[in-house]
Amino acid sequence: MFDLINPSRIFYWIEKLINFINSIFFIFLIIALTFALILSPPDYLQGDSVRIMYVHVPSAWIGLASFTSIALLSILSFIFKIKNLNLITKSIAPIGLLFTCLAIITGSLWGQPTWGTWWAWDARITSMVILSIFYILFILAHKLIKKEDKANKVSNIIAIIGLVNIPVIKYSVDWWNTLHQPASIKLDGASSIHSSMLLPLMLMLLVLLLYCALILLMKYKTEIIRIKKKNIKRI
Amino acid sequence: MIQNFISMNGYGLFVWLSFVITFLACAIIYYKTYKTLKKYEKDFAKELHQLSESERKLVLEKSKVASQVLASYNKSI
Repeated sequence: MFDLINPSRIFYWIEKLINFINSIFFIFLIIALTFALILSPPDYLQGDSVRIMYVHVPSAWIGLASFTSIALLSILSFIFKIKNLNLITKSIAPIGLLFTCLAIITGSLWGQPTWGTWWAWDARITSMVILSIFYILFILAHKLIKKEDKANKVSNIIAIIGLVNIPVIKYSVDWWNTLHQPASIKLDGASSIHSSMLLPLMLMLLVLLLYCALILLMKYKTEIIRIKKKNIKRI
Repeated sequence: MIQNFISMNGYGLFVWLSFVITFLACAIIYYKTYKTLKKYEKDFAKELHQLSESERKLVLEKSKVASQVLASYNKSI
């Protein structure tokens, strides 16, 4: 099964996928922005400041999902000793860090008009800051440790330890009294958000996911070329 | 109407700043990632050209990735 992620097998498809995403990205971006900034209604309490949600919430979800993927792939890499998984986690990490930082910054910009403060040491915000620290440690392990095997091992350990923080972020609004409201969107279908706001939110999520896929594929391709370049004489 | 759209009923600064920061950061990361990828492709192609004719032929025959990188690099120049 893991042969499917063999670089030689998927390199051709990476190129095709990059071209495909590039060709549809701007169409989805324009549709999503039209819904988010023009067609969706203002909130009855927060007014137009609710539009910040369309970048803040998807960014936070992507930050969380990226780290969860990194941690799970790190566990698989530990068990099955597959080097390609490390190339994938290394490619996901900068995307996760970018979106975690964006969630924190846009959250701060949403906090000022809504709560009257740019920053609070609220449980959700603090745990997101901790997540960004785990991302930084993960990336630094790859940058600072010269031996690739050791760098992979250390970064995998960081990712697995950091996994503990994910349920803390998710349930922080239930476990502690925080400024954040409880989740409005639930997987079991009991969402409390109106469809006129859910649609732009999902469209923005789709656009940002397409962007993530694009960056991931480009970074993974770069990693494959780097490895092949190192071993060019051995091919 | 346009003024209303820009001011967002007084929340314009926060809303526009959020969107601008998000898309600007995404654009910068995209540009950097693209540049790095092209640099690696160029370096790989250069290294390949430094090999002798027979070695290069062998590498291109044996490695699908090598031939695809070279094709992608040739397309971009």
